[in-house]
Amino acid sequence: MRELTVPGAPASFDVTELAQLPSLGGLFAKGLAGSAGKRPKGAVRLPEVAYQVADVDTAGEAEHLAAYQRLLGEPSSEVLPAGFLHVLAFPLATAVMVRGDFPLPLLGMVHLKNTARVLRPVRLGEVLTVRAWAQDARAHRRGVQVDLIAEVLVGGELAYQGVSTYLAKGFTAPDGAAPDAEAPRKEWTAPLPTARWKLGSGTGRAYGAVSGDQNPIHTSSLGAKAFGFPRAIAHGMYTAARALAEVGPARRGDAYEWTVEFFKPVLLPGTVDVSIRYAAEAAPAGSTSGGGFVYEGWRSGKDTRHFRGTIKPL
Amino acid sequence: MSTTPSPVPSTREAVIIGGNRIPFSRAGKKYVRTSNQDMFTAALEGLVARFGLQGERLGEVAGGAVLKHSKNFNLIRESVLGSSLAPTTPAYDVQQACATGLEAAIAVTNKIKLGQIESAIAGGTDTVSDAPIVVSDRLRAALLDANHAKTTGAKIKALLSVRPKDLAPATPSTGEPRTHLSMGEHQAITTAKWGISREAQDEIAYNSHQNLARAWESGFFDDLVTPFKGLTRDDNMRPDTSLEKLAKLKPVFGTKLGESATMTAGNSTPLTDGASAVLFSSREWAEERDLPILAKFVDAETAAVDFVHGHEGLLMAPAAAVPRLLARNGLTLEDIDFFEIHEAFASTVLTTLAAWEDEEYCRTELGLDGAFGKIDRSKLNVNGSSLAAGHPFAATGGRIIATAAKLVAAKAAETGRPARALISVCAAGGLGAVAVVESV
Repeated sequence: MRELTVPGAPASFDVTELAQLPSLGGLFAKGLAGSAGKRPKGAVRLPEVAYQVADVDTAGEAEHLAAYQRLLGEPSSEVLPAGFLHVLAFPLATAVMVRGDFPLPLLGMVHLKNTARVLRPVRLGEVLTVRAWAQDARAHRRGVQVDLIAEVLVGGELAYQGVSTYLAKGFTAPDGAAPDAEAPRKEWTAPLPTARWKLGSGTGRAYGAVSGDQNPIHTSSLGAKAFGFPRAIAHGMYTAARALAEVGPARRGDAYEWTVEFFKPVLLPGTVDVSIRYAAEAAPAGSTSGGGFVYEGWRSGKDTRHFRGTIKPL
Repeated sequence: MSTTPSPVPSTREAVIIGGNRIPFSRAGKKYVRTSNQDMFTAALEGLVARFGLQGERLGEVAGGAVLKHSKNFNLIRESVLGSSLAPTTPAYDVQQACATGLEAAIAVTNKIKLGQIESAIAGGTDTVSDAPIVVSDRLRAALLDANHAKTTGAKIKALLSVRPKDLAPATPSTGEPRTHLSMGEHQAITTAKWGISREAQDEIAYNSHQNLARAWESGFFDDLVTPFKGLTRDDNMRPDTSLEKLAKLKPVFGTKLGESATMTAGNSTPLTDGASAVLFSSREWAEERDLPILAKFVDAETAAVDFVHGHEGLLMAPAAAVPRLLARNGLTLEDIDFFEIHEAFASTVLTTLAAWEDEEYCRTELGLDGAFGKIDRSKLNVNGSSLAAGHPFAATGGRIIATAAKLVAAKAAETGRPARALISVCAAGGLGAVAVVESV
């Protein structure tokens, strides 16, 4: 993932205005149909296009927000959590990925990591501009990785920026893209947990219902088997959003950064041991924040790591 | 963070006259289908009978239960109405997890000290055998929707959303709401951090059974316990257990932590049913009625720790509360004759003692100049504690206060010098309550 300092898509991109946020159901159908035809052939070229929807009125999102808050454990509030903004912008990013000229298949791409920044609180009832595009196709040791950028603006001011990095296995990066430096694989040992999540078999369907991400690998055992998983797997963003909720609005503040990196998937049902700790454990006794939080999740009782990330006030 | 303690303001004394409890019983045994109200009323009636309080209007009765059905919103008042105390005795419910009983005592003794009331009873009760069962959140939502619906069609529609698996009831658990780890798992993490050995924990458990059995044999509990439902002694007590038998038990907590697990059913408290009550008053009120005065309830302190993000262990709050309490009263560990440290788990006692002996911990976490100190183990839970007696959550505070008051009274009578007991109770939510009781 590249650091984004300037908001908005690169200058060379065409910005296509859409009248409203597309429906994910239709996009998934298109993605499913289109995925089969997207096979590795030559270097990947991303379409230089950004989608934008102005006047997204969040006034009608109250029930959706409440359902999201109940599922993830976010307190009831009119401020939209970063995870909810990710969900809100997800259809637009998906619309980019199901374009005929987007060279990678929607289904089968692996979510590697996600970085989101909330720069100012977004409240229920505010009218938003949402935009999304893909950039930076680059080499990964197993194929090509690409960033899907989603931004949310309130009154022309950037309020949220999310960078979702996906891997398409077997594809080739464009010429001139240097492979990411390979970090040496270190043995990882589970720390002492601070929490334990028992995730039922319906976890994927429940998050699918609030996020709209009904990818069959999350919602059904059969769907997951079709993609090589023994059982349905939890949405990575569900686990990251739960960690974000657990830290909570009082500790992450109005503006914050929320990152996550995914390792082995969480098979459902399953028990995940979680450690959510102060980033600066050297903080003096009684102090509660400062450097934010780091979190990790692993298979209970094993050294199989599922995810790690950070939540840091900005 | 540490501030200079203010001196204790001078008020009149709150004294302890005596206590009463029913024998504690392992869940699912003698007290099956016995409600919290039944048990607390029995403990209360025993206390009333012991001190001739029939028809008396007391200043207040305070107490509670940790596992409480919503129909028991006025549990303690209802118990008073079912007792032979005057029906004009006010009452209220308290809940602070396992510190409920001690917190109730702190509340009523403060009122006595301020002159707001002359007499009070504090206590608690808990039953796991008769615990409330809750319906699933989905069933609850459907029932509420149906209840709020205006038309029959809308009611039926709401109820049709119920799925068979929604009908499975949820039993109360000791899981922490924020971490979803049980109390035992939390303590296993603390135990691992402090490197407490299995042997040390088993020794605490063994001593608890031995000490409690000796106290029963010597008649110590004869005026502290009223038989109930055919039970005359705590049925969790195992005077015949041995360190060898305890060493054979399989670990039940911390088995997934990657270190060798040390906490077993033997060195952890079992789920228990029971109730307890303690009578407090002003000195004048007791003297007017010719009632014995065992001890005074000197002072108390509560604390909480930041356990949610692993900064501190769930049950470590008393480690912070005790130094603050003693400092405020100009006392040190050497001034204490009896340490009544609630044995939620044997390792809770041991991690608390280890923390006080750790210089670094005391400096960084407790704001002290160095290690708080080491206690004389021969003064620890001398008449047994929760590992042997059992631990009906809200009833434990009352059990300990009555035991501590009797211990200091006997010690002072024997030596002719004042004697003090320190009471320490850890609780869910990272809470802890501690108190000092002193002979009169």
